[in-house]
Amino acid sequence: MHKTATITWIVLLVLTLASALFSKLESKYIILVILILAALKFLGIAFQFMEMKKAHVFWKTLIIGFLALFVIILLIIVK
Amino acid sequence: MQTQEINHKNIYYPPGGILIWIIIFLELITFGAGLIAMVYYSNQEPELFHNSSLKLNTTYGMVNTMLLLTSGFFMAISVTELKKGNKERFKKLLVFTMLFGCLFLYLKGIEYHEKLNEGISIGYNTFFSFYWMLTLFHVIHVIVGLIILTSVYFGVKKENSNTSMEDVEASAAFWHMCDLIWIILFPIIYLLF
Repeated sequence: MHKTATITWIVLLVLTLASALFSKLESKYIILVILILAALKFLGIAFQFMEMKKAHVFWKTLIIGFLALFVIILLIIVK
Repeated sequence: MQTQEINHKNIYYPPGGILIWIIIFLELITFGAGLIAMVYYSNQEPELFHNSSLKLNTTYGMVNTMLLLTSGFFMAISVTELKKGNKERFKKLLVFTMLFGCLFLYLKGIEYHEKLNEGISIGYNTFFSFYWMLTLFHVIHVIVGLIILTSVYFGVKKENSNTSMEDVEASAAFWHMCDLIWIILFPIIYLLF
């Protein structure tokens, strides 16, 4: 019962814990790791909880496009 | 209550309806622009942003993320239950959704109280100007979300309810939007600098 939603929820909690733990590490790639983990959580909520997986490909492209643009801009301006 | 299935594969009918998705994208663009501006300003004052972010309690941020995710989980399964026709179970799960939303606000209140006691208000420095503006704007969305969910609860509870499945899905989409916004706020404000 609600297997997919439950798995998504657990994965999201684990990713949240992981991003908090990774942020304590000293590495030049840490910003990239934190942003990738946030992007994965974003997609998990949009596609599973908000049922974007059932939507027309236009809406899927729009949400992935927004996320990709946001992450790329951040990676360009962050020093 | 009308519970007819909608074909979400139609471009005009994303889950929750086209209007709520226009709002969601506008909100995401607004918060996204705010966060990009924050990161841009951090390049001009990197030390100030680093030292200021150390003043934030990461544990509060992480627990708040978990509370919102749990609330979103209950929201998602409550909608599934309503689609199956389990009105009573929907109402119970919706109460849990709102409860975790309230816990988020309670913890945020504690965090704000601590910051204000330390004298850290909106004009403290550039970092905290962004912190207060972005997180308070998000808190307003959570409060509006809770009001919408309360109205849905009483709408569905009524005997001759005219609340449609699309109304419930649109309210759920608004609530999940609060999760989406927090998911991009938390790592940037609490972890990035």
